[in-house]
Amino acid sequence: MNTETTTGEYMLLFRGPHWDKGLSAEELQRTIDKMIAWFEGLNERGKVKASQPLSAQGRTISGANGRFVVDGPFTETKEAVGGYLLLQAGSLNEAVEIARSMPTLRYGISVEVRPILAECPILQRHPGLTPRAKDRAERADELQIAATA
Amino acid sequence: MSTTTATDYLLLFRGNVWDRGLSPAQIQKVVSDWMAWFERLKAEGKCVGGHPLEEEGKVISGKQRTVADGPFAESKEAIGGYFYLTVANEDEAIEIAKQCPGLEYGSVVEVRPVADVCSIKQRAEEYSTKELAGATA
Repeated sequence: MNTETTTGEYMLLFRGPHWDKGLSAEELQRTIDKMIAWFEGLNERGKVKASQPLSAQGRTISGANGRFVVDGPFTETKEAVGGYLLLQAGSLNEAVEIARSMPTLRYGISVEVRPILAECPILQRHPGLTPRAKDRAERADELQIAATA
Repeated sequence: MSTTTATDYLLLFRGNVWDRGLSPAQIQKVVSDWMAWFERLKAEGKCVGGHPLEEEGKVISGKQRTVADGPFAESKEAIGGYFYLTVANEDEAIEIAKQCPGLEYGSVVEVRPVADVCSIKQRAEEYSTKELAGATA
């Protein structure tokens, strides 16, 4: 499968929002300073398209018509997403190298690097399907034109 | 816990395997409904962006900065895409999440308020304020 995106955008998901546990105030401050410098360096190089922390609050919705609404996710888990960075990079390798240079990795955070797609991967699994409602409408127009011609 | 004043929310779509066991017509309907939903929210100014994510990718972790392959395709927990919403309040974000066409087939939507300040930075500030208070006491 092709992992180079058409847009050159990669989503970095930061998992494990409690990496600060057990760190001294000094060590924590030093790491935060390093993180800010890391982020600003990327920003200056034009690599950051967007980046934000996510609040620990939230809801999880599931079931038909969203009938189950529960508090969560439980952000104390190591898997919880604590923030994201939308990265502009030349390749998956470059995105991975940027992720590897993140200062908080040593404290147990993990970074998921995901290429952004222009089109839903479900469609890749089912090549016969039409991507967009608009395209389908256009195709219907064409058929109509063909039918009237 | 205090209620958030944030009006920006990230919807994370989990469970990329909702198409399993569906007929092509059913899949076509869900995909079309999903696209129409996205286009409508954009037209209403409630969704400012969104993308599906490639099923392959990498996970980087640990002091050795180990790089591991996904996989993200088979897991029910895996994030398959996201919408970025700008709405009036959390209730509206939840109401929008409930409209997700994949919910009926096992998709799960995580609604997360976007924070102004990183919670760790906030904790660090509280930490140093406490230490200062302790030192001056």
